[in-house]
Parts: sequence; C-alpha cells; structure tokens
Amino acid sequence: MKPLPDARAQHTDRVRRAHGAARWRAALLDGLLAWYILGGTVWFLRWWTHPPAVSGGAPEAFSPALHLGLLVGGVLLGLLWSSIRTSPGRMAVARTTPLLRGDAPKPAGGFWRTWHGRAVLYALALTLGLGLRITQVDLYALFSREGLAGARRIFEALAQPNLSIAGVVFDKMVETIFVALMATVAAVPVAFVLSFAAARNLSRHSAGAMALYSLVRFLANLTRSIEPVLWAIIFSVWVSFGPFGGMLALFVHSVASLIKLYSEQIESVDTGPIEAIEATGAGRLQTIWYAVVPQVVLPYLSYTIYRWDINVRMATIIGLVGGGGVGELLMQYFGLGRYNEVGTIVLFITAVVWTMDWLSAKVREAIA
Amino acid sequence: MQEDAPILEVKDLWKTYDNGVAALRGVSFTVRRGEFLGVIGLSGSGKSTLLRCINRLVEPSSGSIRFGGAEVTAMGGKDLSAARQRIGMVFQHFNLVKRKSVLTNVLTGRLGAVGTWRSIAGRFSPEERARAAELLGIVGLGDKGDVRASELSGGQQQRVAIARSLMQRPDLLLADEPVASLDPSTSHSVMRYLEQANQEFGVTILCNLHFLSLVRQYTTRVIALQAGQIVYEGSPQEIDEAWFRRIYGEEAKEVRIQ
Repeated sequence: MKPLPDARAQHTDRVRRAHGAARWRAALLDGLLAWYILGGTVWFLRWWTHPPAVSGGAPEAFSPALHLGLLVGGVLLGLLWSSIRTSPGRMAVARTTPLLRGDAPKPAGGFWRTWHGRAVLYALALTLGLGLRITQVDLYALFSREGLAGARRIFEALAQPNLSIAGVVFDKMVETIFVALMATVAAVPVAFVLSFAAARNLSRHSAGAMALYSLVRFLANLTRSIEPVLWAIIFSVWVSFGPFGGMLALFVHSVASLIKLYSEQIESVDTGPIEAIEATGAGRLQTIWYAVVPQVVLPYLSYTIYRWDINVRMATIIGLVGGGGVGELLMQYFGLGRYNEVGTIVLFITAVVWTMDWLSAKVREAIA
Repeated sequence: MQEDAPILEVKDLWKTYDNGVAALRGVSFTVRRGEFLGVIGLSGSGKSTLLRCINRLVEPSSGSIRFGGAEVTAMGGKDLSAARQRIGMVFQHFNLVKRKSVLTNVLTGRLGAVGTWRSIAGRFSPEERARAAELLGIVGLGDKGDVRASELSGGQQQRVAIARSLMQRPDLLLADEPVASLDPSTSHSVMRYLEQANQEFGVTILCNLHFLSLVRQYTTRVIALQAGQIVYEGSPQEIDEAWFRRIYGEEAKEVRIQ
C-alpha cells in the first residue's frame, strides 16, 4: 500500500500554513481600513478648515504628496493594527477561514465593544458623511422654481407622444428584441459548457480542475465587471456601429453572467445522486451527465429566460452608445430635444419591458 | 481466488477530515464471503465514514483496505472504477436521480461498464434493459419502470436503489442506514430485499443500522463502533443489555421495531 503521512501531523501542518496566509490577508484588510479612515478624516478636516469656493461645491483635490502620505500612513498603521489579535482584519479573516474559526478570538463584551469595533463603526459613519458630501445632495436644487418648470416641460411632452413615428419605433424595437434574443441564444451553449468547470463542487477532486475553475471564474468575473455599455463601445470600434456590435456586447456579458448563475446552481445540487452514481464506478462525464445535469436543466432554462428579459432592457441602453435598436433612435430624438418623439419611444420600451417581465415570470413559473 | 478467502480485509484504517475531526481511529476487521455484517454505533461514531472509505467516496487518511485481495487505497482511475462496479451501495436518502425514470435509475448501475458516449446518448443494450426490468420485478416494482423516481414513496425509492446496486452484479453491497428514513413496516420490507440479495444472489452485505432489533433479525455478525474504534465484534444474539449500554451510553434504552 502507498505510505500515507500521519493524519494528525498533516492537519496541524495545514493549520500552521493557514495561519501564515491569514496574517497577510488580515494585514491587507487592516491596511485598507486604516487608509480609508485616515483619508476620510483628513478629507473632512480639510473641508472644515478650507471650505470650497462655491457653497455646496466640491473641495480642492488632494495633492499627490498628500495621497502618498496617506498611503504610507495606511500601510504602516495597518501593519501595526494587524499585530493585535482582535483587529478587524484579524477577526474577519479568522471567522471566514474554516480551519481557524475554532480558535478565533472572542473579546469580552463582543467585538463592537472594543475600540477596534468602534473604529469600524466610525468608518461606517464616515462613509455616510462622505457620501452626502461627494454626491452633493442638494434639496434646494430639487425643489427650485426653474428646476420644477423644466421637469414639467419634459413630462408634458412625454405625456403627448408623437404617434406618427410609431412605425419606425416598432421596427427598431423589434431589432432590439432580436439583438437581445440572439445574444442570449449564442451565450447559452458557451455558458453551459463552462459552468461545469466553474463549479467548485465538481472541481475539488484534482489540482488541474481547480486551476481551470480559478481561470474560468477569474475571466468570467473580469468580463462581468466590465459593463455591457463599455463592451458596446469596444465592439462598435471592432465591428462598427449597429445591432451586431450590440449583440456581441450583450453576448459577452451574458456568457459571464450565465456562468455565474449556472455554476451556483451546480454548487447547490443535491450531492446524494452524485455519490450514488460515482459509487457505481461511473466516470466523471457520466456522473455529471446522470447526476448533475438532470438537476440543473430546469433552473438553467429559467435563468436563460430571465437573462433574455434583462438583455432586452440592456439592449435599449446599449443602443444609446451605438449598439443599434430603439436606443439609437432614442438618443437621436433626445439630442434634438424632441421630447414628444422621445415620449413615443419611452412608451414602447415600457410596454415591451413590462410584457417581457410578465411573460418571463409566467414561463418560469410554468416550468418550475 | 479461494472461496473461503475473505472478501474484505480492513487494517488499521484512519480517517481525519480536513476540519480535524478524527472519524476513524485504527479500525480493523475482516468480512468473509456471504456474510451479512451489521455495523452499529451512535451517530458520529464513524459508521458512514467507514462504508465510504471502502469504495473511496471518502479518501482514507491511512491504513489498508483489501477487496477481493486487491488494495483499494492504492487504486486509481480504471482500477478503482472496476472495483466500484463490484461494490454496490445503497444510501439512507436513496440518492436516486429524481427527474429520471425508475428504469433509467436502475440502468445507471451499469454506467461503469458502458462506454461514456454510449451511456450519454442513453443507448443501453436490450439485454441491459431486460435485466433492469427483471430486477425491478424482483423488488416488486415491475410496473413502475416508466414512472419518474420522484413520484415513488420512500420505501419504493429504496427498493429502486437496491435494484440499481444489483444491476452492478456486485460481490459486496454497502448499505448506509438503508431504513433510517423509513417507517417500521417499510423498513422490514426493504431489509427483506437485502436479505434476499444476500441469501439468493450470494451478495456479501455490510449494513449500518440503528435498531438492534433489525440487527438481531437480519445480520449474521455485528461490529460496533464508538468514537471511530471497534468496541464489539461478534454474534448479534450476544449483545445484551450491558453491551448495549456500553455502545450507546448509560442513558440509552432499547427501542424495538416490530
């Protein structure tokens, strides 16, 4: 028989290595938090001592030297902070690492009673304050006389849509729906195949599968984090303006999103049938086909219809940047300030989105 | 291979899970051909882990498992698949593919012996289909072949699971709490099918059980696990009140299934 090292020694070794890796992650978290608290506080102090020239406007930007100083300060404070066992980073990492959860520190009176917890609460309050200042929340502007008059002008025009352009809008709306449909249809087979590689529970058995899992997950997350509008701009350069570019943009984003939805479905399947099929001596492909696929086909179908629904809405937005369809038309009339025509388009979009929403909900209900 | 050679030899088997739990701590025992061996013990005593180590659904940490003379722990790929084909398994929660037909579920017992692409296309041979139908008849579900597995009752599902494992023509059958989620009368019906597999088809059976009354009625020999170690090995009739207390704790009181 093959020699196996002592199980307990293996375990303590794993715990030790986990501790080492956890320290670095904790230092990173504490550093980020320290940098954020430091920077946010300095921002407020400066706003206090040097108020912006225009009331309610943005204050002066930080100088590069100040940025550098904050970064260095954050790193140093973070390193110092994470040398304490109950620092926020150490606590978060210890509680989220299964091997270390057992001996995570439990401060008397709870974490929120320690000054570490208070620092986190301070960071949250700081975030709310910064949010109010940076988005320049201004209730005067919202309810000013001129503002309200402008809004009224637009709403009145929207409420009197120019129906003489309905034929053109209808054609463009059809284009939008098909852009969304083709993007979804093309994305399904690609996402279907890749979703099995992107499911953790099917990849744990070997280092190679785990590497593929990480790669697919990484690429999918990267692709998904680039907004479809950005993809549309990229493809408008690649294949020129029009519905094809819009379709490609939605396709890329749909593949990434469906991989995530599909693989999460795989990760939540009942493991019983997988065990049972494996126990018969079946190979991996057979196990997936007989134990996993039957459990995921219906949810997949449901997610796909849902995705088409989302794509119709996104196709409209993508049209605004040259991805064809009704969005393009909307942009043209909006640019010309012809709000009656914009009203017609908005009417169409609303009707289609509402219908798609209702249809997709009904179909998903029917197959569930 | 000699007829009286042991079919299964487990020596100094250890299993420590990644979270540090030591489920098995040096388990050794031998199973002869044709035995109906009961495994008893509290939940968490390592019974399930033990069965799952034998067909490597769980990787043992150290020790030796010899099945039909071959070392299971050293097997990879094709060897392991071949060994698993000769070891059937039934589970507490039946583990059928619920959206597939009952007949397809029985046929999955043959997957190891059927080529990957042929099985994915669903092209099982007429002989295999006939055998699956015959086994469904044996477990009393001859008329349910086309029904979805999810539509059957728990007891019926477990009988399909037994048919699936017999489809493998196994030498050894691992039964992990096969009746723990069934009512008493259904329990007996399922146990009788296991007994039939043992006595008529000569399948050696290793069966985790909770109820001593079932152990006494159906098994030929019994081992008891406590905290990952064997604390009793012998005849099921010799487990008396004192032994029962030692295995299940001082507070335990025996519950009988009639």
